[in-house]
Amino acid sequence: MGVNLSPLVVEAKREISLKELENLTIAIDGHNALYQFLTIIRQPDGTPLMDRDGKITSHLSGLLYRTSNLVEGGIKPIYVFDGKPPDLKKREIETRVARRAEASEEYARALEAGDMEKAFSKAMQSARVTPEIVNDSKKLLAVLGIPFVEAPSEGEAQAAYMVKKGDVWAAASQDFDSLLFGSLRLARNIAITGKRKLPRKRVYINVRPELIELDSLLKKLEINERGLVDLAILIGTDFNEGVKGVGPKRALSLIKKHGSAEKALEALDAEPEIGVDKIKDVFLNPEVTDDYEITWRKPESEAVKRYLCDERGFSEERVEKALSKYRGMGTEQRRIDQWF
Amino acid sequence: MFRSEVKPAVLRQVVDTVSIIVGEGKFRVNQDGMSLKSVDPTHVAMVDLELNRSAFESFEADDQELGIDIEKLKNVLRSATPSDVITLHLDEESNRLILNMGNLMRSMSLLDTRHMTDPKIPDIELPAIVVMDGEELERGIKAAENVSDHVIISMDNESFELRAEGDTDSVDLKIPNDLLLDLKCDKRVKSIFALSYFSNMIRAARASKVVKIGLGVDYPVKIEFDIAGGKGHVLYLLAPRIPG
Repeated sequence: MGVNLSPLVVEAKREISLKELENLTIAIDGHNALYQFLTIIRQPDGTPLMDRDGKITSHLSGLLYRTSNLVEGGIKPIYVFDGKPPDLKKREIETRVARRAEASEEYARALEAGDMEKAFSKAMQSARVTPEIVNDSKKLLAVLGIPFVEAPSEGEAQAAYMVKKGDVWAAASQDFDSLLFGSLRLARNIAITGKRKLPRKRVYINVRPELIELDSLLKKLEINERGLVDLAILIGTDFNEGVKGVGPKRALSLIKKHGSAEKALEALDAEPEIGVDKIKDVFLNPEVTDDYEITWRKPESEAVKRYLCDERGFSEERVEKALSKYRGMGTEQRRIDQWF
Repeated sequence: MFRSEVKPAVLRQVVDTVSIIVGEGKFRVNQDGMSLKSVDPTHVAMVDLELNRSAFESFEADDQELGIDIEKLKNVLRSATPSDVITLHLDEESNRLILNMGNLMRSMSLLDTRHMTDPKIPDIELPAIVVMDGEELERGIKAAENVSDHVIISMDNESFELRAEGDTDSVDLKIPNDLLLDLKCDKRVKSIFALSYFSNMIRAARASKVVKIGLGVDYPVKIEFDIAGGKGHVLYLLAPRIPG
């Protein structure tokens, strides 16, 4: 879920075209992308795509087609997967499990009642990125020649670290947490294309890629990086509940007025459930690794087809079409400026 | 002041050679003629175009810059017939370019050129130069597009070669020295180029039968040819793809 910064980024974000990302390396939040694929790629009654053994394939479909479109556009993706969640995230995870279980039950009831709209929406809410789904995805990426990193803990922290190091240009996720982890750039709507369904509505909107630069966000909000973490703590993060009745805008004015999360909490006479220091520590000193390699290889076409077509029931024609978009892999386009 | 008369075919060559690099062009006009230097938005390719005043039926210009939407100009040309002579002139008061052909008048607002960069064309030395028939090369490009999205161009003192390698298929065009118009090559050179750019450049060279290509090792390629019956000249530079 992550922290809700959307009302605060409105002015700092700008719509971009994928063309602007040509030749750039983008660290895609793997868990977030897979979750998007699982929620969106479904039949009208909410049933996900499945192979003949009844195993879900929505994530493989999304991963193959989306990645191939990015690669065709000259973008160089690297996927970052979550490792072991920080202890503080336990409660959030338990809440999510409970929410999904509830959604699953409601999905079954809606199907029975023939309410397809509700069924679809509940099916979306019950989507879960299982270890099996992550493993399938890594297996596919490996044969596609697309690099991926296993974060020691939070994937968004790892992506932010790689941006700060200059190894990748931007982190890509629907969530804003990578900004709290200090990512200089966050690209949104990268792993999903074109139309997207609004939650709980049968309305589709066009989603366009957008970019948020940390520097300009902080300037617009008139706070520093620490202030951003402080205000997130007031709103609520994956690691704490936040203060009841305090939304993004109020949190911003509180931080500006009081200077820190601690002082704001004191003024509100609110007790954080856990130490503010501990939450700050997760964002400001996250566990990350240097153990990754960013190289793109040509896809092993035969292996891709064996896995997707023979094992998981994909159409050979569609897989071949997607593979043809990887032709540029293995060589890197240079810019002419290099010779100026 | 800018006023000129030009045949549609000449203007079309200008549009065709420039439009594959940029959508908006900053044309410089002066007493010698018209010129443009542009780099494409992704900074992979450049064009350097020069059109002598003798390419025009008539030509008068003070030294100035005209910001032109190439797509619009292309559209205007669609309504021209080969026998037309297009009159272009700048209406300084409204900052519009006025085009007249026959009874048809088209006025076009000019773009602000202040934000358009003025790229320097790098002076690069290339160890291999070939002059050849553009049509033959176009044939090779067309075949290559079916198997890959990039081509490997190589030369030694005996031949020019274009190769494309797909997953399962490949294309090879090898032209020996005696079928080339000229070949100067001190050492074996090889570079890889994205077909999305390279094909367009070779196709634009249709304007002239002869194309000159300068090549190095993992280095930009220079593609040169004449337009307007030798009264104009186009130079493209394209950055290579480097083996990963």
